[in-house]
Amino acid sequence: MEMIIGGAFQGKSAYAENKYPGTCWVQGSDIEEDTLLSARGVLGFHEYIRRELKAGHDVKHLAKKLMGQNPDVILVSDEVGCGVVPVDAFDRAYREAVGRVCTELAAFSKKVTRVTCGIGMVIKDA
Amino acid sequence: MMVLVTGGSGSGKSAFAEEKVLSLGEARRIYIATMFPFDPEAFRKIDRHRILRCGKGFETVECYTNLKDLVLPRDSVALLECMSNLTANEMFQEEGAHENTVEDILAGVRKVLSQVRDLVIVTNEIFSEAAVYEGGTGTYQRYLGEINQALAEMADEVTEVVYGIPVCHKGGTCT
Repeated sequence: MEMIIGGAFQGKSAYAENKYPGTCWVQGSDIEEDTLLSARGVLGFHEYIRRELKAGHDVKHLAKKLMGQNPDVILVSDEVGCGVVPVDAFDRAYREAVGRVCTELAAFSKKVTRVTCGIGMVIKDA
Repeated sequence: MMVLVTGGSGSGKSAFAEEKVLSLGEARRIYIATMFPFDPEAFRKIDRHRILRCGKGFETVECYTNLKDLVLPRDSVALLECMSNLTANEMFQEEGAHENTVEDILAGVRKVLSQVRDLVIVTNEIFSEAAVYEGGTGTYQRYLGEINQALAEMADEVTEVVYGIPVCHKGGTCT
């Protein structure tokens, strides 16, 4: 597994597509679970988490499922935890859920790259 | 030795900070808890942290405001968690330092440092987002930003935790 993370609008998707040309990418905002668990590359993974929570689903076991069933996936995700604590309870839960799921996946990933201003900084390369 | 640990929400800062304390060796371990239990969500967070540090030999001391009056055992290793709560308490609680928040907290940290052997402080990245805040929240960001900069200056090590991965900014593995 590999993760490419960073703030919004930092060029993460372009970085990923450039790094892995020919990969079939799917969008976290559009896909169902079966696609997530079989995709080669997922852009906007945080959007998938948001949709799951909006639908009232628990994401506690999402990381384990991914590690078990799609251990070679490349996940591109926003970091959403570096702002002021949101006033809205759903936003707070979403922000924390993205952090917890991605922290679990980052521990499992062989490589984690953080993209800032289009520049990738490899923060883990096991 | 002073260590500053920062990062976003849910990034694994606490787990990293606790491991850091354990890596500093045998000592009385004091956990300086700053989250005021004002609602069920806060209680749940406090419980989560209690479970996380369970069995690691921490004695918990609560400190919601007025860090500089805290008396700690000599030669202990203290973990203060977290600066973002303490700052909010000082600003918004009645008995807080209000407009003197930055000075009061920094004086408190220096006082703690004068007592303990090692100090690990957890703070928070709340500065990267689109929304612009005015009033109390804007001031809160400014105060915490000033405090974080001063703490980083004082610290021997500064580490940002990104999804559980330590990214070194000062000392430690940087050097």
